[in-house]
Amino acid sequence: MAQGDPLDLTIIEAAAQLEGRRLSPVELTEAMLQRIAKVDKQIRAYITVCDAQAREVARAAERMIQAGYCLGPLHGIPVALKDNIYTRGVRTTAGSKILSDYVPSEDATVAARLKRAGAIIVGKTNMHEFAWGGTTDNPHHGTCRNPWNPERFPAGSSGGSGAAVAARTCLGALGTDTGGSIRLPSSVNGIVGIRPTIGRVSNYNVVPLAWTMDTVSPMTRTVEDCVVMFEVIAGYDPFDEHSAQVPVADYRGELGRPVHGLRVGLIRDYSLTHVQKAVGDAVRAALKTLEGLGARIEEIAMPSIHGNISAQLTIESCEPSAYHQEWLRTRAADYGEDVRTLLESGEMYLATHYIQAQRYRSLLRKEFLEGFKRVDVFVTPTLPFTATPCGATEVVIEGNRKEDMLSAIMQFTGVPSLAGLPALSLPVGFDPDGLPVGMQVIGRPFDEGTLFRVGHAYQQVTDWHTRSPRL
Amino acid sequence: MKSDDPVTNETVERLCAQADLPLGLERRTRLVPMLAGLIAAANELSRKMAAAAHQSILPILRFPER
Repeated sequence: MAQGDPLDLTIIEAAAQLEGRRLSPVELTEAMLQRIAKVDKQIRAYITVCDAQAREVARAAERMIQAGYCLGPLHGIPVALKDNIYTRGVRTTAGSKILSDYVPSEDATVAARLKRAGAIIVGKTNMHEFAWGGTTDNPHHGTCRNPWNPERFPAGSSGGSGAAVAARTCLGALGTDTGGSIRLPSSVNGIVGIRPTIGRVSNYNVVPLAWTMDTVSPMTRTVEDCVVMFEVIAGYDPFDEHSAQVPVADYRGELGRPVHGLRVGLIRDYSLTHVQKAVGDAVRAALKTLEGLGARIEEIAMPSIHGNISAQLTIESCEPSAYHQEWLRTRAADYGEDVRTLLESGEMYLATHYIQAQRYRSLLRKEFLEGFKRVDVFVTPTLPFTATPCGATEVVIEGNRKEDMLSAIMQFTGVPSLAGLPALSLPVGFDPDGLPVGMQVIGRPFDEGTLFRVGHAYQQVTDWHTRSPRL
Repeated sequence: MKSDDPVTNETVERLCAQADLPLGLERRTRLVPMLAGLIAAANELSRKMAAAAHQSILPILRFPER
């Protein structure tokens, strides 16, 4: 007999019930598919729902459990994948019209690893077209909406994955993150998401945005769930030329370690600067909580931090334009207006702009590595603002000054992307309108374990992650 | 094109020709205000990175495994 509403279970809780045969994979998957049918007409978190396939896999997972076989904590767990991640036999559109009928003949490495671990893919999630944008206002597959307030955006580009998890239509999802595309939707949807160190998780058979910055990773309700999915997908992949041959740590073991004595860095004139009041208040309160757990806060100067938005825009303009060069000349009308304009603009940069931006990354990384001699992690808000109305192209952060959304959204998440560092976003509160606030924790290269430890310790003494949107 | 030249319709037309990207007048005009901001910011970053203090810094295209 299942304990509690299956929709409210975390992966860890569901796994325990599945293994103990108090809940069946069929029952859990059916609950998710019914939830999708109920809420997704409004939220549009999914481009493709894999209902028949999910039911078939759930029945197979159930037979295995009945026969005494359990593949691990993801066995029988319904998950969703962003629609730029190849799935064999299931269309993979990358949120575009251009690939609207594309059906891959093989899986992405991350999809294959999830399947081998027994996960059940319930659907492919909505995204900003080709991941080039942060709103998931998709002209081809519908505007994705924020479950906390459907008039607000879910951010992006992995907005569908964020909304799907927050709306309780799956227990976890994969997104992709180039300049913030996992962390931004994690923040505004009130969930957890991690951008891994570049090379930690395979990008093989994932439609690229910017090759030198792209990553894939999980989005879940709790840090512990994030670890469960991350452990399955992390590790060397010979098919990915950027994959790192660095051993995968025991992340679950890391969760048990205290944060007492941990040194948390704030970047001077940056970490808590130029943010909406509610965002600043929530992050300051979270820092107090970490201090209460024994962490020490230290302010550190980082002289080069303020070139980050320009560097990110330059790289994220030039690399996608190289990937899309042929389609831009043969199928330009098939792009949405915003993405088409960005791709056209990416062809107008000089080579020196691109090279100087890549050199800036070295400089920024050097300053971070120097900073990590004094602190173990750095903290910033994930976003300087909470969810804006759907369709907005400008945002007010301070005073009455309107700012361009694309630049404003990159204020904090672009930095670890440029420096090649892992970064975790976790919920740390709500604004007066009931919209979630996220905090970003940045770590040393390949030290995702410390980020999980900090996030898990925080979630042990707070309850933001347990709250659900009313849908 | 010099790095400090303002971005105009003519600039975009010239860059389109160099990139072999045939854009009509309406699309080129749409790019001008956007590029004016983006290129100005890229120029500022370029000036910073071109400074003598940063001459030894190499571009990152792939991160070390450490």
